[in-house]
Amino acid sequence: MKRSLILLVAFTLLFSAAASAQTITLNMLEVITSPERTALLNTLIAEYEALNPNIKINLISPPYEQSDQKATLMLNTNQPLDIVEVRDYTVKQFVNNNKLTDLTPYFENWPGAQTLSPVADASARIVDGIPYLVPHGIFIKALFVRPDVLEKYGITEMPETVDELVEMCIQITDPAKNQYGFAWRGRGPTMKYSDLFASVYVKEVADAEFIYSEDEEFFLHPDYKKGMEAYIRLYKEGTPPDGVNWGFNEQVNGFVAGTTPFLIQDPDTIPLLNSMLGEDNYIVIPLPVGPHGFTVIDYGFGGWGIPSYSKYKDESWDFISWITSAEKNGYFAEHWGPLPVHTTTFEINDHFQGKHYQAYAYEMANPDVYLLKTYPLASPKWPAWSASHETDIQSVLLGTITLDQLLQKWHDYWTK
Amino acid sequence: MQKRGQRYFFLIMLPAFALLTLFIYYPIFQGAVIAFQRYTLFDLTSTPFIGLDNFKAIIRDINFPFFQILLNTVIWIGVSLVFQFVLGFALALLMRKPFRGRGLYSSLVFYPWALSGFAIGLVWAWVFNGQFGMINDILIRLGLIKMPIGFLSDPRYAMMSVLIANIWYGIPFFAIMLLAALQSVPEELMEAGKIDGAGPVRRLFSITIPYIKPTIISTTLLRTMWIMNFPDIIYAMTGGGPSNATNILATQMINKTLKFYDYGQGSAFGVIIMALLFSYAIFYLYLTSEKEELL
Repeated sequence: MKRSLILLVAFTLLFSAAASAQTITLNMLEVITSPERTALLNTLIAEYEALNPNIKINLISPPYEQSDQKATLMLNTNQPLDIVEVRDYTVKQFVNNNKLTDLTPYFENWPGAQTLSPVADASARIVDGIPYLVPHGIFIKALFVRPDVLEKYGITEMPETVDELVEMCIQITDPAKNQYGFAWRGRGPTMKYSDLFASVYVKEVADAEFIYSEDEEFFLHPDYKKGMEAYIRLYKEGTPPDGVNWGFNEQVNGFVAGTTPFLIQDPDTIPLLNSMLGEDNYIVIPLPVGPHGFTVIDYGFGGWGIPSYSKYKDESWDFISWITSAEKNGYFAEHWGPLPVHTTTFEINDHFQGKHYQAYAYEMANPDVYLLKTYPLASPKWPAWSASHETDIQSVLLGTITLDQLLQKWHDYWTK
Repeated sequence: MQKRGQRYFFLIMLPAFALLTLFIYYPIFQGAVIAFQRYTLFDLTSTPFIGLDNFKAIIRDINFPFFQILLNTVIWIGVSLVFQFVLGFALALLMRKPFRGRGLYSSLVFYPWALSGFAIGLVWAWVFNGQFGMINDILIRLGLIKMPIGFLSDPRYAMMSVLIANIWYGIPFFAIMLLAALQSVPEELMEAGKIDGAGPVRRLFSITIPYIKPTIISTTLLRTMWIMNFPDIIYAMTGGGPSNATNILATQMINKTLKFYDYGQGSAFGVIIMALLFSYAIFYLYLTSEKEELL
């Protein structure tokens, strides 16, 4: 009798223990979707689930083209979501709509916050200085060069200034041989290229909060015009005419073919070039600087946030802090392509000690020369800017409007 | 009895109508309402009604001139439709009579129709690429040009290039539909025509075309709507550029929603497209039915 009673109590205890350790399912939405990255995330999730048997993570991976819309829709209709991928283009919108949790209390007790690189920390706090996300990848640009092509034209020194780059591109250009200099970007975020030439000509940009914004812009500044003239000259004399229609794929193709041995791109181009070209057949160097000795580095980022209405904020935070730890984020960034977010990752991860990443590390370590500045992502003028800019640049290159008209138009765009 | 029959008719129609309302009319109505609101993803906490402001903004937009976009749309539809129809009809006529390998040939002809528009756009973007493209390569090898032509980057050629891709894509539709219709033309009629001394051209215009006219009317009407609502190829090849040279209403609608996050103006474009298509369909059906009565 006694024994069966003990057994009964034991069973009851066991049962209640099992009940209290009920599995929690966290819904996680990724937006920068690609099959490879989804597989990568699933590997990391499986590892986390093995360490935390009471947590299940349900990864939702909409196709890339619809993913931002899906995220907006899910958040605005309060659908069950505990972890959401946020990026530079969407963070302000999510915060405006009160859909993200302020992570300050979590950041205060998180050792990882101490090792975030300055650019990663700035990314986390991009909206009002409040951390609404933990970044998982940073995109900044550097200059990719094909020394083998340049050698044929007797060029062995690398360009250090924007003017040198323009001159070199023009020097080697010979349409008869299908040889040009610069892998132009004609479609997509074209302002990220024109500003590397025009904005760096303007000394005042160094002290401005943004590259330009509604409060402060430099389009009618004589030096901005000089920079644009250099940029247009680069197109007319050092770029394939077809560049007006070039997107990422065409840029990479022009670089791989050697037609355009200078390419400005993000670090996720490195794995691609390694497989298409071989890692020893090109180099990556810091961006050339403008006449005033600085250049602006516009940084892009992605990260994880917690929806404001999530029921499992603590559990979600535990996962986020795990997957963005120096070790796991290093693994994630290595296999996906962006720069990792912790300075310590560059010390512990062999991949990021590789030669092609040194230019990026150098840029991040010299913030006086490589000024980290963003576009005014919070401005209502911002979302339409990229598409307007693309059309305007095409118009000026094709000669349908003059440079002065263009600059006036941009000035009006931001001030009216 | 009559009344009862009518009641049954409505009862039987009700489920279909309810489903249509739920999944078609209600979303259309909702979308149309957004066109009169300030509705941007940027700030969904306030979406006030702003009357016709979205429409005014579209028409006054200096970056994307509305009337240029409208003209592009007309060219895009007109040229695509004429060539797709003529070439598709010619193919259907050729494939009407059995010949060796007809099965294989027709499946090859119909193949483009099975592909996604976006994928086709990506393939043609490489064909027309101004640096490494196949067409440039062929033209250079033939000695016809010395320097590659920027088919997609030069406004003079961009529209032509996307049109060629779209025509290629749309031919199979007409070939399939018209071939099916042609096979229903009774042989006796043709023979009677022959006996009466009508040549092949006369038989085509006096027997074949009148006989398959209902198919021609419905297919051309359908295709017009589809071509107008088909931004995939343009989106993949030029994104509406260079400098709006290939921008049509449908691509601009996508631009407004996906790039500008402005659902209000995007919906306004949708409403404009809907209104244009609706009036076009009524006009077209009116025109074709009147002719039928005259015959």
